[in-house]
Amino acid sequence: MQSSSRRTFLGICLGGLAAAGAATATWPVIRYLSPRSVEETGGKVSFPESDVPADGAKFFDFRGTTGVVVRTKSGQLVAFSAICTHLGCIVQWEKDKQDFLCPCHAGRYSPDGAVIAGPPPKPLPRLPFSVTNGLITVG
Amino acid sequence: MMIMKRISEWFEVRLGYKELAEKHLTGYLLPRNINAWYSLGSVLLVIFGIQVLTGILLLIYYVPDADKAFRSVTAIMNDVPYGWLIRMCHAVGSNMMVAVLLLHMLSTLFMGSYKSPRELNWLTGFILFNLVLGISLSGYLLPWSQLSFWATTVATNSAGAIPIIGDYLMQFLRGGKLVGPPTLGRFFAAHVALLPLAIAGLIGAHLFLLERIGVSAPPFGLKETKNSWQGDQFRHEDHPGGIPFFPDYLLQDATSIMIYLAVFFSVVFFSPNIFFPVTAFMPADPFRTPAHIKPEWYFLANYQTLKIFPSELLGLMVQGAVMTFLALLPFIDRGKERHPLKRPIFLACFVGGIIIYLGMTIWGHYS
Repeated sequence: MQSSSRRTFLGICLGGLAAAGAATATWPVIRYLSPRSVEETGGKVSFPESDVPADGAKFFDFRGTTGVVVRTKSGQLVAFSAICTHLGCIVQWEKDKQDFLCPCHAGRYSPDGAVIAGPPPKPLPRLPFSVTNGLITVG
Repeated sequence: MMIMKRISEWFEVRLGYKELAEKHLTGYLLPRNINAWYSLGSVLLVIFGIQVLTGILLLIYYVPDADKAFRSVTAIMNDVPYGWLIRMCHAVGSNMMVAVLLLHMLSTLFMGSYKSPRELNWLTGFILFNLVLGISLSGYLLPWSQLSFWATTVATNSAGAIPIIGDYLMQFLRGGKLVGPPTLGRFFAAHVALLPLAIAGLIGAHLFLLERIGVSAPPFGLKETKNSWQGDQFRHEDHPGGIPFFPDYLLQDATSIMIYLAVFFSVVFFSPNIFFPVTAFMPADPFRTPAHIKPEWYFLANYQTLKIFPSELLGLMVQGAVMTFLALLPFIDRGKERHPLKRPIFLACFVGGIIIYLGMTIWGHYS
């Protein structure tokens, strides 16, 4: 075999090895950089019912996003995702008006999450929750 | 294929890259007797690249706060997918970088490649070696383990032996009287910003000098082994009739890199704890000194030197003298001969120096 063809053969082997190595290294790096899954960030969130003041709201981390539990004037508890469906800002509970306001672009939602004003295209998603022995469990 | 050719032409008429490739790759001729030791520079470039890449990845999850650093490193190792792999590559890579740098410098010494007109190549390389030791030392503290904390205490304490300014220098390095949260802040800044920038800049200068002055020919397999440099004017050292860098020597570079990676990943996968004693897995406790705290293997010779001299200052002075001698070697050794077998005094010092270094390292390990 001539030296140039041996060189070509060695080049192909080394190039192939480098490409295979780079491809193999890609997977761990992607996994390392990927956001944690719902299972890894915790499924359910619990806190005492007393944390939610009368007419008030409690915000909490929920599966990597933000959730809110509100006690309305009628004393009813409701739980929503606090992410505005317009551009992703966190909505605020307006105690006096009894509605949610998104301060970014003045989107408004009723206490049951429906859009009442502004640009949000969809209602706030509801979060499933239960109350047992004074403990609220969301998720 | 037609479209590829048109794209290639589009770039060619604008950049003239074929001329560049001819000048720096296919037409860049190296001495015919060049050997595999010359590829260690390329291996070091790859190691530096891996260190930068894994370092950036670690920065995503590492928290440089004395209360959170150890927990963040533990989370990288246990909770983040493949975090253990990234951290192990970074930790093992730093040790490998020092080892390969030592081999690179030893081969340069052995072949007399540091001689005129390459004094600046040697000097930039020597400074690079010291910067790599500095970046390894500063990185050692970041996990905030018992090992990091106390090894840094011992290492920075040596600076205190310098007369007059020693105490101030030690406190300046630590950011306080003892190693503590301020030390972590300054070591972190040095490790992730200052030293990498300095190393990258010096690598650029080192490569510029290599390109500008030309590659030295090994003194082996030649009739005339004396340095032919005349010193009257600048001359780029050409090697007419030599072998092209691309593809010939690039294949040697690639082969050496693959051999290095095989050794590197063997350590990462089969012996990952070789550089991690038990104290590396315990959070730093400033009130409890662990027994037998030792520096990393590449500082063991320095550590043992400090121990065998009656005063710490004397030990530091001896080390300083040796390092200064090595840094200025091309200016001290003006002999024309480059073949090691024709330089018996040099060869005796070379072999003797390695034996002393290894002896002190082993003694330091078992002392």
